[in-house]
Amino acid sequence: MRNRSVAVVLTLAAAAGIAAFVLASAARNSTAAAASETNSYAAARTAWGDPDFQGVWRYEAVIALERPARFAGREFLTDAEIAQIEQTEKDQEARRLAGVEGEAVGRQSVAASPIRGNEYNSFWQDHGRPRKVYKQTSLITDPRDGRIPYTPDAQKADARAGARYGVGPYESYLDPDTGERCLTDGVTGMMWQGPNGGHNQIVQSPGYVTILHEEYRDRRIIPVDGRPHGKIRQWFGDSVGHWEGDTLVVDTTNFVDKTNYEWASIWTRPSETLHLVERFKRTDADTLEYTITVEDPMTFVKRWTAVIPISRIPDGAQIYEYACHEGNYAMPNLLSGARADAAKKTTGR
Amino acid sequence: MRTNVAVLFGCLAILVAAMPVWAHHAFAAEFDAKKPIKLQGTVAKMEWINPHTWIHIDVKRPNGKVERWMIEGGPPNALYRRGFTKDSLPLGIEIIVEGFQAKDGSMRGNGRDLTLPNGRKLFLGSSGTGAPLDAKDGKDR
Repeated sequence: MRNRSVAVVLTLAAAAGIAAFVLASAARNSTAAAASETNSYAAARTAWGDPDFQGVWRYEAVIALERPARFAGREFLTDAEIAQIEQTEKDQEARRLAGVEGEAVGRQSVAASPIRGNEYNSFWQDHGRPRKVYKQTSLITDPRDGRIPYTPDAQKADARAGARYGVGPYESYLDPDTGERCLTDGVTGMMWQGPNGGHNQIVQSPGYVTILHEEYRDRRIIPVDGRPHGKIRQWFGDSVGHWEGDTLVVDTTNFVDKTNYEWASIWTRPSETLHLVERFKRTDADTLEYTITVEDPMTFVKRWTAVIPISRIPDGAQIYEYACHEGNYAMPNLLSGARADAAKKTTGR
Repeated sequence: MRTNVAVLFGCLAILVAAMPVWAHHAFAAEFDAKKPIKLQGTVAKMEWINPHTWIHIDVKRPNGKVERWMIEGGPPNALYRRGFTKDSLPLGIEIIVEGFQAKDGSMRGNGRDLTLPNGRKLFLGSSGTGAPLDAKDGKDR
């Protein structure tokens, strides 16, 4: 009986798999068709002939990294869903401009989302321009379920990191997340993350592409002169770039293993086996299609890819300093908070 | 204008704005969501420092004693992009701050709402989006 149930399940799974493959192929074809239409954009060139990515860029889209459960099995939103999300964004923007805060702009209450900084209202945040709605239901396009293919151990580590972020235990300055320690949130999400400074400035010179990320003032100097990887392991690894037509391809290896530190999101942590490939391509004057392919047997069972649309901020935009340690009162505050919590438990008050 | 202090602790229904998951640091580690505070006081100092600004206010207790509270604000870069400059909060101005107290019970808190004594919230109906475009294209109110 049990075996037959398994067989039925397997048969159904196989059928579903074939159906998914057929649908996926159809979707892929339509994506390819759409892509070839947008490929007509003739990339601007620098004075020395390289594709020109210079300027300030910021992620302004409303797409989850991992596909939310409500979109399971679907890679694209329907036109009606797009219209609805666009309307929501427009309404929220109008309310923000009118100074309305909180639940009225569709935000979660403290009770609904008690940690992770939800207590700050939008007055303190840099919203950027109204967010852009795209068809994708997740930034992750491969695997096709739009989910990060964690190893069982990494899955556990991710759950643990999620549970302790903002909660502790904080016995030492080593316990907070690397971001809370003013170090970095890692290179994997750098181009599109950073609520306290998500802007990235790209500056090019012959043979180099440099990227300055506002939060933590992270910076990368990427040679695109054909040199091989070096041998020194570093937090941001060792990046070398090359051009494939109008696309900048950056290959990064030689990360130093910092998996023993706390990372609020496990997919951002580097290990020695992390191999990151980034592709930068302008699809129009104001949009950068940024694709990451992440491979690391220590954290993922297979490699995964995310396609991230990033917007150009108009000329004159500036990156500001983010001297994180200048006034990082958070460190003593959260350590003293942890001591206060411990004392409460001891005294029962 | 009331100069007395209102320090209210209690489980209030707080309506808040969600921030992206990756904040610089985790609110709950530093501040106690069960200790909402409402303070009225005069601005004594504004620290324009990374990764968060801190506003120092002198709060006069009913017994006449003055307490110096420190209130955490947004990152300087984000505030600047919203049009919040050093002139926005002159020293001596009286403000009402609502937020949450530090877990260790010290006179520190995070700032959620900031209101001028005339009841006007800072930048109400003003710079809404904060993008560099706003300041230049004249669309901003």
